[in-house]
Amino acid sequence: MTRLCVNGETHDLACEDRDSLAGVLRDRLGLTATRIGCQHGSCGACNLLLDGVPVRGCLVPVALAEGQAVTTLEGLRDDPVMIRLREAFTAHHALQCGYCTAGMLVAARDLILRGRATSAAEVRAGLAGQLCRCTGYDGIVAAVLQAAQ
Amino acid sequence: MVAMEAKGWIGASVPRREDARHLLGQGVFAGDVTAPGMLELAFWRSPVAHGRIGAVTRPAGVFGAGEIGPVTLLPAGPDMPGFRQAPYPPLADGVVRFVGQPVLAALAATRGAAEDLCARCEVEIAPLPAFADVPAALAPGAAVLHPGWADNRYGSGHVKAGDVAGLDAPIRIRRKLGLGRQSAAPMEPRALIAVPDRRTGELVLHISSQGPHVLRHALAAMLGLPESRLRVVAPDVGGGFGAKNRLMPEEVVACALALKLDRPIRWVEDRREHLMAGAQAREHLYDLTLHATRDGIALGIEGELWVDAGAYALWPTGAFAEAGMAARNLGGPYGIAHLDVRHHTVATTKPPMGPYRGVGRTGACFAIERLMDALADEVGVSRYEIRRRNLIAKLPHVTAAGMTLDTGDYPAALEACVGMLDLPALEARRAAGERVGVGFAIYTEQSGHGTAEWAGRKARVVPGHETATLRMHPDGSLTLLTAIHNHGQGLETTLAQIVAEELGLHPEAIAVRHGDTGLSPFGFGTFASRSLVFAGGAAKAAAEMLGAKLRRIAAHFLQADLALVELRGGRAWAGAASLPLVDLAHAATMRQERLPPGEPPGLEATADYCPPEDAGVFSYGVHAAVVRVDAETGAVALEDYCVAEDCGTMINPMIVDGQVKGGVVQGIGTALTEELRFDAEAQPLSTTFADYRLPDAPSLPEIRVLHLVTPARCTVHGAKGVGEGGAIAPPAAIASAVEQALGLGMVVTATPVTPRRVLSVLP
Repeated sequence: MTRLCVNGETHDLACEDRDSLAGVLRDRLGLTATRIGCQHGSCGACNLLLDGVPVRGCLVPVALAEGQAVTTLEGLRDDPVMIRLREAFTAHHALQCGYCTAGMLVAARDLILRGRATSAAEVRAGLAGQLCRCTGYDGIVAAVLQAAQ
Repeated sequence: MVAMEAKGWIGASVPRREDARHLLGQGVFAGDVTAPGMLELAFWRSPVAHGRIGAVTRPAGVFGAGEIGPVTLLPAGPDMPGFRQAPYPPLADGVVRFVGQPVLAALAATRGAAEDLCARCEVEIAPLPAFADVPAALAPGAAVLHPGWADNRYGSGHVKAGDVAGLDAPIRIRRKLGLGRQSAAPMEPRALIAVPDRRTGELVLHISSQGPHVLRHALAAMLGLPESRLRVVAPDVGGGFGAKNRLMPEEVVACALALKLDRPIRWVEDRREHLMAGAQAREHLYDLTLHATRDGIALGIEGELWVDAGAYALWPTGAFAEAGMAARNLGGPYGIAHLDVRHHTVATTKPPMGPYRGVGRTGACFAIERLMDALADEVGVSRYEIRRRNLIAKLPHVTAAGMTLDTGDYPAALEACVGMLDLPALEARRAAGERVGVGFAIYTEQSGHGTAEWAGRKARVVPGHETATLRMHPDGSLTLLTAIHNHGQGLETTLAQIVAEELGLHPEAIAVRHGDTGLSPFGFGTFASRSLVFAGGAAKAAAEMLGAKLRRIAAHFLQADLALVELRGGRAWAGAASLPLVDLAHAATMRQERLPPGEPPGLEATADYCPPEDAGVFSYGVHAAVVRVDAETGAVALEDYCVAEDCGTMINPMIVDGQVKGGVVQGIGTALTEELRFDAEAQPLSTTFADYRLPDAPSLPEIRVLHLVTPARCTVHGAKGVGEGGAIAPPAAIASAVEQALGLGMVVTATPVTPRRVLSVLP
């Protein structure tokens, strides 16, 4: 059995060694905010937090998450930075189809908490690993800057 | 041109109602849908580009062609005798024709277990010749891909107007140009789950699709089901851009197996599958000669173009629209009266071509704009000046290919775009030795084209209208049902704005539902920059009908002259007297005895809309790219990108900005980084996002957008389509800028303009 602590709840699950954390969260726990865009760590749609640090959920074998706190977007609903980010994303039209959004928010929150969202150039650099196919990124950059204030 | 000001809800940047669910991670995409007893589907795909299938060894749970139940193949491509048929079998039947083509279908409890079954399959394939590009496919003696074909062309066409040969023009510039092959690459790959519903006897397909009704029609025909027993639901869709608007084999297989086994079947495409076997796009080749005067006035274009359509024609249109559209659009925004262009749609051993944002016109724009740059160089004027001289000065204008460019002011857009730049500062930097340059490109984008236009293209599906149903519930709340699909375009917001404007309500009062054949009237879906024009028109017409009935009932209740009744703020007014709409709704539904004599009960209106002019309306814009080039590495850095565009009346300017910017960045991908490459055996070389590089935030400047607003004559509120335009011009603008930065003439002839290509054109 694999014991996962996800958003404060503990789950004991029979997993295969090859299962990814993102896959288990989606298929076994129904936590579908974690999107899967490439399955090879390039797009960032599956970002989540392991002990507070953003990781690619698609690249994390589920066994590696044992003993660490897993936080998905569902678990950040009342997070104060996330609340500011949600308001700013709407105000700046920082999402269109919504598929990259969860991963983008997790990455943006981390930039803000690390104090790395002080200029547009810094935000762009900080979002280097996050692909969005719809917006062209301008709205996202503006939203992150606003939420960082 | 006028500055845009909001008039009520039209022109207001209303925040999108779609955002909330996505920001909480609560959107529901097809891959999120599950069902009890579900099996996961994986495909054994061809490892070779062309070959004959021999002996097959496979474990239980794996199905081959002919074992998934009865499937009828549909003809695809234009409905004309000269277009050869190459129907795409759901599972390869005897022959494989590209790497990645589905051959066997494996079912298991998990995707991993299904892939394990695939790993245990052995398929003998006797190799046949592969041809990885158009020249190889058309080479004398080349093997023929499909039985009965004389050569590897699906078909050819000829766009001819005027008399290029008789021009005797003093300047003739011949160039060979090309656009790379691309993937639309929406962030959500394709996904679907087919669920038998035992209560209704329906098969319910949840699928990431741009057009569920049209998809249902094809699937039902292939599976031999009445359409009444197939429900297609497209929930939240994570981007489409054209790639989710064609019938693909995976959904046929999943539905057939769900029917055969009476179990839910799910397939979720992975990125590798999307890049190697999803619909592919662009890859045009041009050999064109531009005829012009010594003053640099372009007179005519002659030559040929080829589109690499891959191994099969995707239902309904195949790739034929691509080549014909490119040929017809070659004149661009210029008054070129003579056109003599033959176009060819060519089969290769590569994945089938589908539509992608900008269809046809990204290539056509690249071709004509590159030729205009060459003409500027030839006659010794600036690339800005050559455009100023050749732009159509007065609209409407009927092009050589017969398209009516309707409203706008092209020269003013050019001046507006130049006004966004500091050209003297750029010149000073160049004088100081910096390798910086600016390039211009201008596009037009047809949208809202109706029945005659599509029928004239011999389309098998003629999306010349759209229908909407507007329903007021007994409590006065409203639901708009529409058959277009919203996957990022903000149509849940903009269609509500249009209804709200008509009925004097807040947009929040109107729920917009779409993407479900079980809910809405028939319609075509979202593509060709059509949805706002068509579904907006239908929504407004339905709102007018419903509003008229509300006013009739209100006149009766208020004992007022009907002409004096107006709807405002959720109430019906006659002078100072008013009553809330909920009273009218209640009467019309729950207490019909209160209705005026002869007024039938119910508050529901279904309206169909087709634009009063079939030719469509043309958005347009001028793009300017400023680049800095590193001559040592060939790297191109984009410093600035400006757009002066006109898409008519904007219903929601914030959303228009998003559409333009998003389109531009996809065009920048076409220009600089994105290319599906293949080796000589047609093996794909770009099957991850590490090999197929999408634009990312650090590589982009802010995209600066200026809106010029010339309302269309014939559409609702004067709106034109805007979805695709941004993606059309960037390759041409950026190629031109790179040349200026390097102090070269017109030498960039192909996309993407990678460092390797830049180094290859340096002297």
